[in-house]
Amino acid sequence: MGKTVLIVDDSNTMRKIVSRSLRQAGLDFDDILEAGDGQQALEVLGANQVDLVLSDINMPNMNGIEFLRAKAENDAIKEIPVVMISTETGADIIGEATALGAKGAIKKPFTPDSVNDIIAPLL
Amino acid sequence: MGTPVNYAAQIAAATLDIFETMIPMEVTSGEPMVGEKIEISAYLTSMLGLSGDFAGMLNIHCPSDIACLITGAMLGMEVDEVDEDVKDALGEVANMVAGGLKISLADSQIDVELAIPSVIAGKSYTITAPEGTQKVVVPFETPSGPFWVELKFRRTS
Repeated sequence: MGKTVLIVDDSNTMRKIVSRSLRQAGLDFDDILEAGDGQQALEVLGANQVDLVLSDINMPNMNGIEFLRAKAENDAIKEIPVVMISTETGADIIGEATALGAKGAIKKPFTPDSVNDIIAPLL
Repeated sequence: MGTPVNYAAQIAAATLDIFETMIPMEVTSGEPMVGEKIEISAYLTSMLGLSGDFAGMLNIHCPSDIACLITGAMLGMEVDEVDEDVKDALGEVANMVAGGLKISLADSQIDVELAIPSVIAGKSYTITAPEGTQKVVVPFETPSGPFWVELKFRRTS
């Protein structure tokens, strides 16, 4: 059965780059869904079967930390793994993301190899 | 007293890292520009606010053709005109430069928080800074022309 990934980033360009990097890394997803902020991501997760979420942190409306907090309180989606992809990779914010359930973090800028190193073990 | 922070070198390193990692374009950094007023011929400027130990702004000033080239290289496609994708891409470059700068400044015990980037378009800009504000402008050269990364700030702590 194919897998579905949700890419959450307020930048349309960055969503395209992440999507292309997944393909270049050989990570074979059947479906790639997109959301522009944390609120949209919660709506997508509520309406679709998603196997992995890749989320930016610094976003308008609902940022990546607020998204993790809301997701953790929703029994239907709280077990879906999330990896942060962000320029924000300080120990404090990544520590907070990890405490809220994030499974890893990828620093922007990134290469397909660095994406693969973090994501492949989660699939 | 600690070692003075070489902001220009940190801007250059953060910017070149993005091009080496994610934007396949030949880019070199030039000599930092100083002075009360700096004239730049650019069409697009992406801006990102900085707070924390800094109150300031990181700006990337880009002629339209260079902005299209950068966007095309990021997306792996040809881009001919400035559209929302180009503005979005330039904002994301500013976000990544500021992110790299944040990491290197943290090594100097300077903590900054990043806002969300915005992009404006115009014919040309004269960069000025209020009294008490430091200004660093680093020019970058591509095979098709220049762009500039500017940091304007004052320390708040």
